[in-house]
Amino acid sequence: MNFKNLLPTRLPAENSPSIAMYFKQYGIFIAFVFICILLTIATPNFLTLQNMVMVLRQISINGILAIGVTFVIISGGIDLSLGSVVALTGVAAASFAHPGTHGLFVPLLVGLLIGVTIGTINGLIITKGKVAAFIVTLGMMTIARGLALVVSDGRPVSNLSDSFNFIGGGEFLNIPIPILLFGAVILISSIILKYTKTGRYVYAVGGNENAAKASGINVNSIKLFTYIICSGLAGLAGIVLASRITTGQPNAGVAYELDAIAAVVIGGTSLSGGSGKIIGTVVGALIIGVINNGLDLLNITSYSQQIIKGLIIVGAVLLDRKN
Amino acid sequence: MNQPYLLKAENISKSFPGVKALDKVNLTIEGGKVHTIIGENGAGKSTLMKILMGMLLPDEGEILYKGEKVKFTSVQEAIKTGVSMIHQELLPFPELSIAENIFMGNEPTSRILGWINKKEMNKNAALLMNKLGANVEVTTAMKELSIAEMQMVEIAKAISNQSEIIIMDEPTSALSNREIDILFGIIEELKQQGIAIIYISHKMDEIFKISDTITVMRDGKHITTCEITEIDQKKLISLIVGREINSIFDKKETTPGEVILSVSELTGLKFKDINFNVRKGEILGIAGLMGSGRTEIVNSIYGLEEIVKGTIFINGKKVKIRSPKDAIKNSIGLVSEDRKKYGLVLGSSVKHNISLSILEKCKNGLFLNLKKENEMADAQINKLNIKTTSSDQLVNNLSGGNQQKIIIAKVLLNDADIIIFDEPTRGIDIGAKSEIYKLMTQLANEGKALILISSELPEILGLSDRVLVIREGEIRAELSQVEATQELIMKHAMA
Amino acid sequence: MKKIKLGSLLLIFVIWILAGCNRKQKNEIVIGASMLSLQAEFVVNVKDAMEARAKEKNIKLIVTDAQLTAEKQVQQIETFISQKVDAIILNPCEVEASSPAVDKARAAGIPIINVNSETKSAADAFVGSRDEEAGEIAMEQLAKSINYSGNIVIMDGNMGQAAQIKRSKGAMNVVAKYPNLKIIAEQTAQWDRAKAMTLMENWIQSYGSKINAVFAQNDEMGMGALKALEQVNMKSKIVLVSVDAIADALQAVKAGRLNATVYQDAKGQGEGAIDLALKLIKKEKLDKNETFIPFKLVTIENVNDFLKK
Repeated sequence: MNFKNLLPTRLPAENSPSIAMYFKQYGIFIAFVFICILLTIATPNFLTLQNMVMVLRQISINGILAIGVTFVIISGGIDLSLGSVVALTGVAAASFAHPGTHGLFVPLLVGLLIGVTIGTINGLIITKGKVAAFIVTLGMMTIARGLALVVSDGRPVSNLSDSFNFIGGGEFLNIPIPILLFGAVILISSIILKYTKTGRYVYAVGGNENAAKASGINVNSIKLFTYIICSGLAGLAGIVLASRITTGQPNAGVAYELDAIAAVVIGGTSLSGGSGKIIGTVVGALIIGVINNGLDLLNITSYSQQIIKGLIIVGAVLLDRKN
Repeated sequence: MNQPYLLKAENISKSFPGVKALDKVNLTIEGGKVHTIIGENGAGKSTLMKILMGMLLPDEGEILYKGEKVKFTSVQEAIKTGVSMIHQELLPFPELSIAENIFMGNEPTSRILGWINKKEMNKNAALLMNKLGANVEVTTAMKELSIAEMQMVEIAKAISNQSEIIIMDEPTSALSNREIDILFGIIEELKQQGIAIIYISHKMDEIFKISDTITVMRDGKHITTCEITEIDQKKLISLIVGREINSIFDKKETTPGEVILSVSELTGLKFKDINFNVRKGEILGIAGLMGSGRTEIVNSIYGLEEIVKGTIFINGKKVKIRSPKDAIKNSIGLVSEDRKKYGLVLGSSVKHNISLSILEKCKNGLFLNLKKENEMADAQINKLNIKTTSSDQLVNNLSGGNQQKIIIAKVLLNDADIIIFDEPTRGIDIGAKSEIYKLMTQLANEGKALILISSELPEILGLSDRVLVIREGEIRAELSQVEATQELIMKHAMA
Repeated sequence: MKKIKLGSLLLIFVIWILAGCNRKQKNEIVIGASMLSLQAEFVVNVKDAMEARAKEKNIKLIVTDAQLTAEKQVQQIETFISQKVDAIILNPCEVEASSPAVDKARAAGIPIINVNSETKSAADAFVGSRDEEAGEIAMEQLAKSINYSGNIVIMDGNMGQAAQIKRSKGAMNVVAKYPNLKIIAEQTAQWDRAKAMTLMENWIQSYGSKINAVFAQNDEMGMGALKALEQVNMKSKIVLVSVDAIADALQAVKAGRLNATVYQDAKGQGEGAIDLALKLIKKEKLDKNETFIPFKLVTIENVNDFLKK
């Protein structure tokens, strides 16, 4: 079959991308670099290797959460239960991590498993029960918080084994373990989204659920997958947090979901679903991280900090979207 | 008004990344005339209209309104100056009343507190609707109206804005013949009042009936402008596509093979006791009015809609189809009537849309083979002559015809043996239409079984081997190619 | 249909549990308590002490969690009033905003006791500690440890909360006495361990060895700061004092990691509250209607006394 001669075929491709196009694609990176340059000028303590490593370690928890929720948001959903899941998995893992009881493997497994279970419950109610994700995860937010308090009896779970504390405080080849975990999560999730069928389906479901279904995709199982990834990573973040502060805190992680969602949105993922990249989310988390770090370094009072933080976030996104 | 024209656009150019959408286009609109603009999708009509409506700014060129240079930077400005547009896909506020829709943003308000004067608003709205010959209560909610009535409301709105130019973008695409007659009556009326209509349509018979002047565009360029009396249909089509077209239907005699799909007593929510079969190499036409249940029948075969009762056999074997996934497994493909809803992920690239349902075949173990996917997409783009800057272009930026071809590419890649085309040429320009017809004939000749649903009877008659006529969810007639005529089909379809 | 059934079953189940919880038996003394936040360890300790004492005296104690919001607290007091409890114990969220709760209880003739902190409208009785005192004791110890001269950083609790304001004020009273003490940075870590750790890391980055001492307004933040300091092996050079004497902090004092904490007597406050309530219910005369339970400094010398409690 050859219709090629019937009509003029493909339009000529543009030769070189204009600066505007370039900016459009990398706007948020440019905003990030811009913020970094400002902070470097403002304080000599900012651009040091030690401080950079520290910032990375500080953002690793929010970063892991943000990557999880990136999956959910690309597929067109939302997860508000993250912060509470961090607390629950943290205290649950800590409860099994007292020295000389279960070793390292059991607490890790417990934390991750609880995360995965919560993701499964969220996903099943959203897909099979056809309840809005906002409602389901809002409910789960208070349920998981309550469970965290019940499990811990309202008190921090402390006296944890050294091997457990190594996850949040230790280093491998001079790199803090949380950064390594964060890096691994970035790598694996980027590969899933870009190079696997499932990843592609996540975009399709978020872009047009009906068309995805009509293309033979099992929409429900894709959605379920995103919620499991999201809560599972929240479980990982909960373990890292508990280990970093060497206690399982039932009141930890309040409003962490908002920071995570902010990182995703700053990173260019649309809340309406269908588009987004892991690397964008990582830059989003970095922006939030360097702002927090930089404002502390400059010893700006907590009241003004909040205003400045908000302005910078909105400004960064404006810089990105304006083009 | 000393100028002989209302609006004059001179040397308008507009580029998008990778595409020159308009290239030095000229257009002159005179009062009291219907000026049709015709061209294939992607010819630049919509871009030009968007510029006239202030939705886009031109890169070059200027617009004169009654001799004065104007620059519309927003829709509000265009409307204020005197240009209104009736969009193809209407954008009403469904929960608000007719009157509220007409006066949206322009409500008569009381002087003191700025309260909306409802009484006056309703009175004025009723006056306007009466003038248009529409017999509806102006307090009715917009969502209760038919598409024709909604259009009427949009026209009323344009008049209430004192527009002198009204752009109508394919206004008849969703109207019945009777409604079209009423619309044409209104257009005549508007002409009498000195209002200019810019009319966009693909329907030849309509164009010759209603137009005074016609402008042909192709590939972003102005091709010609002439009086309608100076041109005939054949000449016009050749100007549009840039070549002579002899016959757009090219149906050869076929000898259908064995039965591949048959349904027995198929019953759903909007249809009942449907029995028919389709043979290999056959095109089965399904005719019927919109809402007759024809789309629901094929959707249920594809697993998109619930089957209450009945059986589907493929190659003589009973199959259960609960989802599109099952349908694809049974080598059924659907080119849906609603391509934006069921066909495409608009925010994704051409490549990702084409490969969506066959990613299984572009895998190396766990991972996708992006190179293979690229090659496959490029092959389809070439084969179906999809006009796009690259396979990474977003589908959203493509014209309707090219979007439709992407959906067809998807179905073809799935190796479907039974392909359902539901209104495959709706909103598509004539060049792409003829390509799709050729393709369908070709597929039938290759031994695929095709089901064609269409509201355009020439399409049904030109392509089908057999025609089923559906009315109120039931098959009312089965006509062979020889017996089927437009009159006979309509008789059964309307009872 | 299945969904409706499941949903309604769930709701019925929850209501049934709630109904079962609140059934009042005849002649039983019932006290309602609305606590600031049962996610804070100190408040939980007060609650536990109250529950233990109530059980001892055969009193039914209903505890509710106001989750840091005064509005919720006022609603809880209204519920207690309609349940006709015999007395109410209030652990106020805010000085001003929790006041209506006290007014309502008094208007209904139900005795109300404030525990831990006060409200603007005076309750029938108060048992608690002066938060200024905690700030004073901690800062005095800190100043002594660095020979009344050096650079100090302060970690505040949630800005604007009574405890934060009072502990700050107490600390500042002490700082004002010694001209060689200098506050080089003050910032909130919102009572939170993880946030405090991040804040301390950032401070180490910008001030490094210039810091001589850290005052954290509660132990949670103190423990976070401790982690950050130990991470870069700086703890030995820096004095760290915090407030509350939670279990983790006591262990840290015992191990010589934390220089000092200040013990707030949760048990004393909780038991005191129940005792006062009982007296008011029996219409006994109170000697004085304000009972202050003193703070105590905890250092490595006396930590064993507190670990037993």
